[in-house]
Amino acid sequence: MNRNYIVLVVIAIGLAIGILLMDNTKRNNEIDPETLAVNYNDPSRFLSIDEVTDRLVRKDPGMLLIDVRPAEQYKLFAIPGAINIPIDSLLTSSTLDLMSMVEMDKVLYSNSGATSDQAWLLMERLDMPAVFVMEGGINNWFKNIVQATEPSESAPQEEFDVYSFRLAANQYFYGSSDKPKSAEIKVVKKAPVVRKAPAPESGGGC
Amino acid sequence: MVAPLIPLEQIPEAWNNVFAVLLGMGFGFTLESSGFSSSRKIMGTFFGYDFVVLKVFFTAAITAMIGIFYFDYMGWMDASLLYINPYYVYSAILGGLIMGFGFSLGGFCPGTSFCGVAIGKIDALVFSLGLFLGILLFSELYGLFEGIYNSHFMGGSKIYDLIGMKEAVFGALLIFVAIGMFFGATWIEKKVDKVIY
Repeated sequence: MNRNYIVLVVIAIGLAIGILLMDNTKRNNEIDPETLAVNYNDPSRFLSIDEVTDRLVRKDPGMLLIDVRPAEQYKLFAIPGAINIPIDSLLTSSTLDLMSMVEMDKVLYSNSGATSDQAWLLMERLDMPAVFVMEGGINNWFKNIVQATEPSESAPQEEFDVYSFRLAANQYFYGSSDKPKSAEIKVVKKAPVVRKAPAPESGGGC
Repeated sequence: MVAPLIPLEQIPEAWNNVFAVLLGMGFGFTLESSGFSSSRKIMGTFFGYDFVVLKVFFTAAITAMIGIFYFDYMGWMDASLLYINPYYVYSAILGGLIMGFGFSLGGFCPGTSFCGVAIGKIDALVFSLGLFLGILLFSELYGLFEGIYNSHFMGGSKIYDLIGMKEAVFGALLIFVAIGMFFGATWIEKKVDKVIY
């Protein structure tokens, strides 16, 4: 008989015995797809930038802001207080230990939100508790916190409140801005000395 | 199809058909290059001079089964989430008889007949036309067959549950049956006169 056939038969018998010896404990600890889909569509998995900023300013110990972008991008610009765990190292055992902490809200962000959404899916499938996504990512944060724009005059009071909060947060993170809002400073010229003509000596007239 | 990339929208839905055509071409090419476009080779199973069809399908089945067992054991996949074709008892028996009759009469199954058409075999062409005629007849007369078609629905049942056997025992037994079948088929091939085709 062909020697190759004997080798294949031995392998097949080995695999069959392996199947017989398997125990039935479930090793796949992922949540079921239906729960995943329901959680994915639940808007409460998003935190707004203002909420995240507020908790950063208050130095909330119950929140961990995680930048899931590559390390180079993190070095270039990141939200102050965020730690960097690139998406490709999310599944290391130390990260998973960190992620499985129940008492800590883990907030993920990336540039626009696509990568952080993927990271959220990875974590949610592994049933990690309290994982959130910062809405709009760092682009949204940059646009609204770093470059906060004043609402129009007819805007409701709430918008002004949000604006002043964002402005304050901006100053908290980056100090007062280098350039004053009005670029030109008018140098006050020396007030011209007005010399009065000497009063005419009184002398009659009449 | 092409899960999980398309359902997760990593690849747009429109690519589905492109992948279907590419995968189909690959499948057809492999069938043709293994000689499956020859009705004589396929008929060998019924006459005992060539059991390659039986061997290929049995190998595919146990390879997939072993893979599922071990992947599930390692935690790489969850076998309980696999989609299992729903089982309609009468449909399966009747369909199997009709398919087997057509198979042994024409010497092709649907996939191999298209392979035959692709390389210009007239018998394959006639077989494929018959196939479409069958589809048309079934569709037009669906009202007549509907009762039998949908009767005795048993859901996604598994054979080891039906016969009350443990999953692992059934899996191991199937592997031993496959090994026995391989040697049995080779033994018959040696006994039967060679057919040159």
